[in-house]
Amino acid sequence: MPKKILIIDDDPVVVKYLTAVFSDNGYATCSATSSMEGLDVVKKEKPDLICLDLQMPGEWGPRFYRKLRKDKEFKDIPIVVVSGIDGDHAIKDAVAFVKKPFDPEKLIGIVKMTIG
Amino acid sequence: MDKKLLLVDDEEGIRKVLGISLSDSGYTVFSAENGEEALKIFRKETPPIVLTDIKMPGMDGIELLQKIKHANPDTEVIMITGHGDMELAIKSLKYQAVDFVTKPINDDVLEIALNRAHEKIRMRQQLREYTENLEALVREKSAKLIEIERQVAVGQAVEGLSSAMRNIAGDLEGGLTYFNEMPCFVSVHNSKLKIVAINPLYKERLGDKVGRNSWDVYAPKTGAKFRCPAEQTFKTGKGQRTKATIKTSNGDKAPVIVHTAPIRNQEGNIELVVEISADITEVKRLREELRRTQQRYQQLFDEVPCYISVQDRQFRLTAANRRFKEDFDVEDGAFCYEAYRHRDEPCPNCPIAKTFEDGQSHQAEMVVTSKAGKKYNVLIWTAPLRNTVGEITHVMEMSTNITQIRQLQDHLSSLGLKISSISHGIKSLLAGLDGGVYLMDTGFEKEKPERIKEGWDSVKTILSRIRKLVYDILFFAKERELKWDRVDVLSFVDDVAATVEPKIKAKGIEFVRNFDSALGAIDIDAGVMRLALINILENALDACIDDKTPKSHKIVFDVHQNEAQIVFDINDNGIGMDRETRENLFTLFFSSKGNKGTGLGLFIADKIIDQHGGKISVESKSGRGSSFKISIPKRIPESVKATSEKPASK
Repeated sequence: MPKKILIIDDDPVVVKYLTAVFSDNGYATCSATSSMEGLDVVKKEKPDLICLDLQMPGEWGPRFYRKLRKDKEFKDIPIVVVSGIDGDHAIKDAVAFVKKPFDPEKLIGIVKMTIG
Repeated sequence: MDKKLLLVDDEEGIRKVLGISLSDSGYTVFSAENGEEALKIFRKETPPIVLTDIKMPGMDGIELLQKIKHANPDTEVIMITGHGDMELAIKSLKYQAVDFVTKPINDDVLEIALNRAHEKIRMRQQLREYTENLEALVREKSAKLIEIERQVAVGQAVEGLSSAMRNIAGDLEGGLTYFNEMPCFVSVHNSKLKIVAINPLYKERLGDKVGRNSWDVYAPKTGAKFRCPAEQTFKTGKGQRTKATIKTSNGDKAPVIVHTAPIRNQEGNIELVVEISADITEVKRLREELRRTQQRYQQLFDEVPCYISVQDRQFRLTAANRRFKEDFDVEDGAFCYEAYRHRDEPCPNCPIAKTFEDGQSHQAEMVVTSKAGKKYNVLIWTAPLRNTVGEITHVMEMSTNITQIRQLQDHLSSLGLKISSISHGIKSLLAGLDGGVYLMDTGFEKEKPERIKEGWDSVKTILSRIRKLVYDILFFAKERELKWDRVDVLSFVDDVAATVEPKIKAKGIEFVRNFDSALGAIDIDAGVMRLALINILENALDACIDDKTPKSHKIVFDVHQNEAQIVFDINDNGIGMDRETRENLFTLFFSSKGNKGTGLGLFIADKIIDQHGGKISVESKSGRGSSFKISIPKRIPESVKATSEKPASK
């Protein structure tokens, strides 16, 4: 069974882009366009890795992250931050910070290193 | 040049070989095989250069060196050392050897050492010549001085003249400074009351009266009481001072002050009288002219479109022009930094201090505070004021108010700020564009028309967003349009606190959240308000980090409410601020953090709070920490909503 990646980004174009990049490389994907929705999808889909944007309307990425980590079941899901702003201190244990605009091959490289 | 050289070595071979090569170089070589013999030859021949081995039986080279230097300190001694005798070589340098060469002796090295010795001898000679020249110069100058003094030896006439002149000078306000400008009629009278000599001005204005009676020049209407000053002087034997009227050669009359002084012969009898008259009208005219000039300067001083002040070394304001006095408090003896910047001590980088130091003009730009509390950006120029001997006693400071230019700059900078705030948007757009292109590329590759279409749709979406963005920039709104939202205060401040807390704790500083549990909701643009609060919290953090006192630091983030407002209190016990920092806190590009600060943070925070119809206030003392109080209305005032929702692009 392919590994599953959850994409959280408020920009549908970016979601579409990431979905295409990941599925072209043999991963299953699911997505959410807000933090709140993201938490629901995590519970439902139980992804192997989360690709998270920081700046979103409503609740920002860091808030999603804190809520996620409170749940024991999800406290170890690796997170890759893909964002246009600097937020190194906001997500303590992120696997990597990828700045937009990003190089898809580099991103895939990071994901492969993390979940195979 | 004296090319005698004494060569001392216990090895005959070295004496011979070195002796030959030194003779070839033109030296008259004397050689000795030990210290005692060397000293004998030295006393007899006094060669300027001695070349000696260090290790010799009996008296060694070092001892010989000391003895030679003692006998004739000008002798230059070069030491010959065996391989590895570095310590001895250095020791010899301590005893004033000019250089050392090591065995086996290299001709080039020896030549360098000899040149050094010659150089030293030559320098010493030159120095001696200079000193002797100097002495000759002093002798010459003192001879001249004596001659001058002889010339200066004054006779009675000169003395009388100068005392009379001093009297006149005393009558004129400016003192001796104006003496050159002063029109004086000088005449000398003999005991028969005849004029015997006059000065050129006298001759020009009053006519050549030599040989005439002493009282001839005076107008008859001076009255019966008038006595001829020269006559009075002969009678009383004392200098006179009186007012009189004289007739000029063209028939005019002029009021004068007359001074006389008796000139006595060696027996003490009055032989001559010097009479000096100063034309009062002329003096009056000069005084008037001076007054007018001063007035013109005063006018210029007061009316120039800048602040001018004159300050002494303590930065005390000794003069200030009208404009300066209008805008700043200038009490007697006020200090520049008090009047200008409400500081307790001189400002760092004070251009006045620099001018006092180097006598040059300096420039600086500063933010000053007027007595009405207004902030002005001023460009300051300084110029030294010197006294007659050229010492700088005061510095003049001219400051041009460039506040308007700065405001324009502020505006431009806020434009820049907005552009940077949309840079996140631009990055996302680029990512999106990459996405569209990726879908199309892979679509063509995999021959999936659906994917190509999907990609093209993305590109189109992004294009329309770019278009909107470009229009936004082109029709740039004057104020950033706020995105109002009803936000739950508690979760908002929780979020803000969580963003800064790790940073604060990482520095070992205590962070206290003190939130009212029933805060309810507030109308804000959460994104920008978050930015404002984070800016202030991060400042509190910096203030604690910069405080080097050993106390434990604490930042308290307190959020409570009153009827209409949510109040955010951010308190720290860090370094605190002085009055100047407090007053400039919200000025664009004002930073108290040196290179660490951009000067943008609190400027933005202030703007954001203002846009929310809120208030920010600061209390702080140096060394005691700071507290910021931000009050934001729970409901946006309609006025605020109206202005911020009205896009200025339309």
